[in-house]
Formats: sequence, C-alpha cells, structure tokens
Amino acid sequence: MNSRAFKCKVLVGGDSSGGALFCRQAFAFDRAVNPRTGVVADVRSGMAGANIRGKVLFYRQGKGSTAGSSWLVEAIRLGNGPAAIVTEHPDLAAVVGSSLAGILYGRAIPVFSGIDTRVFAKAKVGSIARVKGDTAEVVLAG
Amino acid sequence: MHLDSAQEKLLRGEGGEARQLAMEILAKVGDTVGAGSLVPIKSAHVQADYVGLHDSGIELFERFSDSGGSFGVPTTVNPASIDLDRWESFGVPAGFARKQNRICKAYNKLGGIHSWTCVPYQVCNFPKAGETVAWAEPSSVVFANSIIGCRTNRAMAGLDVASAILGLTPRFGMLLEEERVAKVVFTAPSGSFSDLDYRSLGYLIGKSAGSGVPALDDTPRGVTSDDLKHLGAAAASAGPLAMIHYVGITSGSSSLEKAAGGEQIERVDVSRSDLEAVGSELNQTEETPDLVALGAPHLSVSELGSLARLLEGRKMKRGIDLFAYTSGQAQEMASRAGIRADIEAAGGRLARGTDADVSPLKAMGFHVVLTNSALLAETLMAEGMVKVRYASLRDIIGEVST
Repeated sequence: MNSRAFKCKVLVGGDSSGGALFCRQAFAFDRAVNPRTGVVADVRSGMAGANIRGKVLFYRQGKGSTAGSSWLVEAIRLGNGPAAIVTEHPDLAAVVGSSLAGILYGRAIPVFSGIDTRVFAKAKVGSIARVKGDTAEVVLAG
Repeated sequence: MHLDSAQEKLLRGEGGEARQLAMEILAKVGDTVGAGSLVPIKSAHVQADYVGLHDSGIELFERFSDSGGSFGVPTTVNPASIDLDRWESFGVPAGFARKQNRICKAYNKLGGIHSWTCVPYQVCNFPKAGETVAWAEPSSVVFANSIIGCRTNRAMAGLDVASAILGLTPRFGMLLEEERVAKVVFTAPSGSFSDLDYRSLGYLIGKSAGSGVPALDDTPRGVTSDDLKHLGAAAASAGPLAMIHYVGITSGSSSLEKAAGGEQIERVDVSRSDLEAVGSELNQTEETPDLVALGAPHLSVSELGSLARLLEGRKMKRGIDLFAYTSGQAQEMASRAGIRADIEAAGGRLARGTDADVSPLKAMGFHVVLTNSALLAETLMAEGMVKVRYASLRDIIGEVST
C-alpha cells in the first residue's frame, strides 16, 4: 500500500484517523453539512452525499457565515463530526468550532493547516488519513 | 498566548462562572491561532439566529446568561431567524420560533442592544477608524475593515459572545498591520454597473482571492455605500476574506501602491464575461419562483425607496411572495415615508429584524427563491433544500409583477 506523509501546521492538536474526504475548493460547514446526519449537502463540494462522521476532512480554505463554527459544534455534539480537519489555509470556523467542542463537550477534534496543495490533485477516493499532532504530520495511505 | 494577571484570575474563575467560560474560549482560540495577547475592543456584534446556532448555540448563550454573564462592551446583534413580532404570519412553525425566542431572551439578559440587523453600521454601531472591534457576520466585517477603517477578524459564533462579555479579543489576523496589506489586485471592467454586477464582482473576488487580502482598482464611479455593502457581502460568502482595499476609497489606500505596501502584486483583470459566468453559476433553475427575497444583507431605507419606485403601479403575480428584509429602524423610516405602504400595495412585505439567509425558508413552505443577493444564492445552494435563481432587481420585478 502506498503511503505518503505531509508536514502541516497543528492548530488544534491530537491524533486521529479515518477515511479521507477531499473538497478541492473553499468549504463551509454552515448549510453544507446536516449536523443531524453528518451528510454533506453541497453539490458543488465534490463530497455531496458523503458522511463526514469519523472522516478526515480535507478542504482548501473556509468561506461563508460566521455561524460555521456552530454548525461544526452541533455536528460534533450529535456524534456526527469529522475525525479531523486538514486545510491548506487556516479556517477560523474549524479552529473555533473544534475549540468550543472541546470546552463545552470535551470533544475537540484535531485541526491542521498548511497541507501541500498538491494533495488535492492526487486525492483518491478510499484513502485512509492519519493525523499526528506530535510530529505535525498527515499520513495518507492507499 | 500571554495572559496578564487580571486575565489569569478570570480564567481561574475569580470573576464568576460566565467570565471564566468566556476567558477559557478566548484563551483557547488565542493559543490556537497564535495570538500574542488579548486586546480591548470598543464594540461587539454577535450572531444569535437559531438556524446558525442550533441547540448547542442555545446552550452556550444560556450558560452565559444563567451564570450571571453580561456584555462588557456595547453589543449589537445580527438578524434573528424569524420576524420577532410577526413570525406566525410568515408561516414559521411555532416550535422553531420557541427556539429562537430562547436565544433572544438570553441575549436580552446579557444586556445586548436589540439591533437584529446584519448592517449594524447603518443603524447604531459605527466605530471610529482605527478602533478594534469583534464583529460576527462576514459582510459587516468586510464593511468595518474596508469602509469604516476599524479592525476586526471574522468573530466566529462563540468567539463573538465570549469577546463581547470580556470586551477583549485575541490579537491576530486583521488586527495586525502586516496582515492587512493587499496581496492581489482585481480590476473592474469599465462601463455602468447594475446591482447584480456589483454582487457578481464581489463573489468573484471572494472566490479567487485565496487567503490573502485583495484590492479592487477602478471601483466603478458612482458606487454607493449600499453597493459596497452588497459587494463585500458577496465576497465574504464565497471565500475567507475579511477586507477589500477599494483603491481611492479605503482609508490608507489612496493608491494601489499604498494598498499593497509598496510591493508588486498579482493583477487579475475581471471581464464582463467573468461577471456573466458568476450569474450562471448562481442560477440553478429556470422555474417560476414562489419567493422573491431581497436583502442579505439588510436593505437600507434608500434601497427600500428604490424598490417602492420600481413597484409603482405594479402588482405581484399570484403565488409569488416578495419579502424585503430590513432592520426595524429602516422599517420605521420607510413606514413614515409611505414607502412601506407602496411596497405593500404592490403585494410585497417588509420582513423586520430577520433575513432570508438565516430563515427556515423550506419550513416556511418555499421551494424556488429568486434573489439579487449572491450571498443568499451561495447559502441556499450549499444546503440544497430550496432552488435558487439569481437576477438583477429590475429583471426580477419585471418578471414577478405586472
């Protein structure tokens, strides 16, 4: 099995792993993910119909309303949050959402930024991603 | 992040439970984004709509209000998910309204100003240039940084209320001089601009600017602050930006060179066909709408006046509602001027203190929404529960009324 490691910047630390989901553009949690199910609604995201629950979610950057953090917290509270979030540019919605989920529910998820943009071009359905807070690495396998 | 001794005390709970929770949030977010310290803010603008906040957002608001919290600086609030006085007549389910009202009650207990608008700067919250504030609502954030000349990051839900309670916010991003320098410049096509052109241009800038601050050169002559409000809102809906240097308008950006801090930056020439491409991107269907939603952000009283003039002598077609979303203050002025009566005579309605982008439109019975707001189109397309069409105000009125 092919495996590649990418150095990242750790925003919210921790170790986690799951199936990788890739969005090759800007992404917002508000409206685009149903927090009651974890299912992605936005047809433009390239992930429509997929469930973010337990997945490592990759996207380029954030966008949209400042409620993005709340949509993420709600998904995490209901057990439908992603295992980790990895972006190219830091996304404040992910940072604040994960921080709040940690403070309110003891369920922060790792949030990394600075992933090599080439990962999006090579993204493959079915890859497994492991994020490692200590070494600031994201390892993609498969 | 460094906390001073007073802030350390709050974190230990010596200022009470509410301020401890707020400090916990600011300290955690500050550490995460690499802020050096917390700095004082002059005002806050927070989000309190149930569509955006969900049950966890109600919980957070009530944790603050039930544990003796109160806002430490003047704080305004974004639109609610319902018209607070007339929600029943807009078809909002009662259970939904109850959830929204819990947030309103907590907000009131915290001592907030009842602005219920996404344009606080057109109503009752207008900072001075150079001041630091913590504002939610990306369209307000862009207006604050770009037109008013104050400094704010996008205060995400949760961070906004914590900042409002302590009157402090982490110092990072747009609060730092070096982060405010333009990294890419867009040039607008020449010729006259319709309402839709401004919004499409904003959408394009937001989508293409990446994570850096953009500049806009050749801002069309005759641009109004309402036009810039909609341009900035569209930009913020499509990407993460918090500021646009309008060359010749933004304070400190009298020239492109100044906006870019003396550096040569990448230039993107926007053409008319680029704007048309945005138009088709945000147009999902050709179906007849059942709702025309005008707002997102709130219309000013002069925009309501223009709408009334366009509707003069016309009647809305059967089966199509028209809601013009606005602040309570603009509604009051429009009522006194007879503008509201004119809009209602044509079959339209004013929706006060709420906006389409934070409303439960599907639950209110709508299926196809026609709008000239790129922000609203973007928001509705993300969720996919109603279909969206995007057109200029003139074309909209021509289609939906006779």
